[in-house]
Amino acid sequence: MITSKVSKRYAKALLSLGKEDGKYRKYGEDLHDFSSFYAQNEEFALSVSNPVFSLEDRKRILNFVLEKSLYSGTVKNFLNLLLDKNRISAVSGICSYYEKLTDEVANIARAEVITPGPLNEEAKMRLEKVLETLTSRQVRMAAREDKALIGGIVVKIGDLVLDGSVKAQLVGFKESLKRGEYR
Amino acid sequence: MTRRPYRSGKFLFLVVIMLTVSVLFCGFVMAAGDSAHGQDRSGDLKDLLYRFINFALLVIILFVVLRKVGIKQFFVSRSEEISKRLEGLKSGKEEAEKRYRDLEKRLQEFEEKKKDIIAQFKAEGLAEKDRILDEARSRVNQILEQAEATVQQEIQAARDRLKGDVLTLATRQAEEIIAREMTENDQNTLVNDFIERVGKAH
Repeated sequence: MITSKVSKRYAKALLSLGKEDGKYRKYGEDLHDFSSFYAQNEEFALSVSNPVFSLEDRKRILNFVLEKSLYSGTVKNFLNLLLDKNRISAVSGICSYYEKLTDEVANIARAEVITPGPLNEEAKMRLEKVLETLTSRQVRMAAREDKALIGGIVVKIGDLVLDGSVKAQLVGFKESLKRGEYR
Repeated sequence: MTRRPYRSGKFLFLVVIMLTVSVLFCGFVMAAGDSAHGQDRSGDLKDLLYRFINFALLVIILFVVLRKVGIKQFFVSRSEEISKRLEGLKSGKEEAEKRYRDLEKRLQEFEEKKKDIIAQFKAEGLAEKDRILDEARSRVNQILEQAEATVQQEIQAARDRLKGDVLTLATRQAEEIIAREMTENDQNTLVNDFIERVGKAH
């Protein structure tokens, strides 16, 4: 909970800077890139987040990596600030929340589409359009496969879940039979 | 019963006077007898006088002493005490007889009360017996009803469990069959239907 609050606070701060200079998308990309790098390199993550090492050493390591990157100066300073405040380990949470904030700013809704098999492009486009009409926002879909659905499709947009899977229909049918709705 | 002590006192006094007079006359008679023989008996008379005086003093002393001691009063009071005790004993006897009668009466009352109490206890015992039997019958009925309800509940629960198991198995089999029989066309149809439904929902 505390981490989540901290992440939100830092993400909002960075977004406000990005909105001022109009580079919030670039900042989001840089932050996402660094977050992925941080998650994939465990040794690097431990080196910069472990307080056993001195702050100067950790800063030296971080800046060594940042110098090699093409990140904007603001993002570099932001990451240095996170290190100073001992919040570098919260970068993943900050990045996730930052993406949510940028989506809101850009009026983008992220949809998770789950199907038992691959979804064809034509269906994807139709679905995207329908969802955009439904949410009145630009939709960015992330597809995922789950064989347990048997058939059909499940779409999750924020808190909204649209379940059109065979599995869900069978469960509903089973519950109806249990309640004795079919005799 | 009253006594008159002064009458007996007078009587005693008279006896003493008579005794004195008789002794005195005896002395005179003896003196006269002796003088008839012509002998000088003045010494004997003097002796007699002394004896008489001695005797008189003895009588007087006895009289005074006995009066001082109150022998008469003692006998009188003793007699009164005895009569009082007799009266007390008589009244005690009457009292005892009265108490005996009272006790007899109370005993009789107690016997009657005892009978009443026994009868009351018998009646209460019978009422209590009836109450306990009624309560036991009602409890038995209650237990039977509860048991019946529990049996019905268990039957219903078993039915529900069985139904749930059958449904789970049926659903699982349905899933297997659908998964086996599902084609790409079916999936596309399902997706298209879903898209249409979402579109219509808006």
